[in-house]
Amino acid sequence: MESNVDLICSMPGECSALSPTALIWQDVLAQAMTGELVAAMNYTTLAGICDDPAEIADALEHAQSEEGHAAAFAAEGQRIGVPVPSNVEAKHWKRLREAFMRRIAERDFIGCLIVQEIMLESFAVASYARVGRVGPGSLGKTFAAIAAEEEEHIEHAMAILRAERDLDTPRFDDKVRQLHFEVMTTLAEMLARECVHGHCEVCHGNCVKPSLFGISLSAAELRGASLQQYLRTLDKLGLPGEVTLAWVSQLPV
Amino acid sequence: MGISVASLDGSERIVDTRDQTGHVDFALIGHQESWRAAADVLAFLRGPEHAPLPNNEIRDILPWIPPRAVCHVEVGSKVGAKARGIYIDSFIPPDRLDSAFLRDNLARVRGAAQCAINAGARIVSLGGFSSILIEGNFDLLPEKHDTVFTTGNTLTVAFIVRGIKKMCALEGRDLRRSTLLIVGATGDVGSGCARCLAPLVKRVLLCARNVERLRRLASEFEFKGVEVEIATDSEQAGSQQFSTKADLVICAASLASPGLRLRGIAPGAIVCDAGYPKNLSPSAEMPDAKIFFGGLGQITGGMRFTPNFHGILNRHPFPDVVQGCLLEGIALALERRFEPFSHGRGLITPERVEEMETIAARHGIHLAPLYNGDGPIEEGVHAASQQEQ
Repeated sequence: MESNVDLICSMPGECSALSPTALIWQDVLAQAMTGELVAAMNYTTLAGICDDPAEIADALEHAQSEEGHAAAFAAEGQRIGVPVPSNVEAKHWKRLREAFMRRIAERDFIGCLIVQEIMLESFAVASYARVGRVGPGSLGKTFAAIAAEEEEHIEHAMAILRAERDLDTPRFDDKVRQLHFEVMTTLAEMLARECVHGHCEVCHGNCVKPSLFGISLSAAELRGASLQQYLRTLDKLGLPGEVTLAWVSQLPV
Repeated sequence: MGISVASLDGSERIVDTRDQTGHVDFALIGHQESWRAAADVLAFLRGPEHAPLPNNEIRDILPWIPPRAVCHVEVGSKVGAKARGIYIDSFIPPDRLDSAFLRDNLARVRGAAQCAINAGARIVSLGGFSSILIEGNFDLLPEKHDTVFTTGNTLTVAFIVRGIKKMCALEGRDLRRSTLLIVGATGDVGSGCARCLAPLVKRVLLCARNVERLRRLASEFEFKGVEVEIATDSEQAGSQQFSTKADLVICAASLASPGLRLRGIAPGAIVCDAGYPKNLSPSAEMPDAKIFFGGLGQITGGMRFTPNFHGILNRHPFPDVVQGCLLEGIALALERRFEPFSHGRGLITPERVEEMETIAARHGIHLAPLYNGDGPIEEGVHAASQQEQ
């Protein structure tokens, strides 16, 4: 479903006022761009702990791809007349980055893939796909296209992770459990109906969540879709559904 | 691939609970009947160290949960047989059972069936609305490999019929002098009950939405000399028309929520609510009716949930009580008869009901003690407290 509301006046020069939804989109784009930049940083760092030249190349290629996504979001902001700020130091994103860096410090390649590909990308794929459905024109198409690309990333990682799980299933599942409570707790706080712990440091003014209805979205929908995608990804990995359900049930709301 | 269970405490490790062969004998596919029930399941999963989710959060989150196993179930038989299974919840939201959500709900049942197949379940029972959505057409389910499905409706019918007979005995009624009304008469359960009870009562009143099916069912009984009347139940007109004439009522309609009112029901009429969700509206005024919840059986050989969902997934005032449709899969697993015993629609006969009841009884699965919304009905029957589970 595409929004009928134009983001800027359709005839350039006729009107310079922004559409009322432009500022909502600005925050949505800022969150997405920040996420892409964190992902790009994560992949670049990941390349540093890889031994296999093919893995190094792969990680760098992913980093470049995420930077491309960030640039695409910035360009969409420009199209609707708003700057798209990013803040990789914003508290939630910083915590997610730190969790990833702890895996890097342990040279835990598999842990890095779990954090980035299973957790962060599930969140990205589901929310971008939802935004893609309601975003007008090229904005919606960009989100939808990036969601599809991110999904390919997940598929690529799945093969590596499934093989790893087959080697030692209990150990692998335990690692996912630990990372779940470390990383998904932060993501769940980001996805909560309201930011109960103060400003997220990415939105330009007040929290954008209560305004999402203005673009036919809601924080509840983005959270639901993200958790669903995450559970399905874990299902595909082969983790028992009753186990992952209990994990997700324990996340903050 | 292993099937493991996690403790609910996030700090513990995953424990492999498979038997040595890795087989899951049975899978039970269900969904929660009410938001309260769904809230209890989620509260249990969250564990005591987390505050229960507020109702608005539950309503936001539950519809997004994909179908999945919730717990493992082990049952014993009085002849010493054991069977292991899983309970899979389709997570159909309790307020989305109506036809507007048909496509989504069908996808959920298919997803739950896929979970059962992936787990290697040998037989799968379709509980509650799952079988109603499939309507006995197992071709709607995913490719099955070695997994067979049963709607479980034959054992449900067996327990409804057994319950009616027991209630008549408790109330000192003569079945042969009774007028039986069946609401939802052309459904798989309703028609099965009609076939079992029509030869035993004085008169049968059949009520359903589809007039053609009603006529076919009525002619089946007329051919056998049964006194029968039919009424279509558009806007509950048929059930209201008949409710003043009946002294025995079976409510087996596929209602998305409890909305049935039997206005003018005869004082002292015996009413079996066999719906899941319940058929009868909580605000239906039937002060003198003898209402009981039908179609429920009890396992006497032991039943264990891992994690321990006792009293949460089976919310009854007696221990080890389960819907008949789910018990059918369990009974067949204990009997090692992995076959689609109940399938299609309108194929349940008294002979099949007797056969199923015999299988169940062999393994100690019997009619559950009768109860209703106010509690146990039978005097002298001890209702086990949930804390004792």
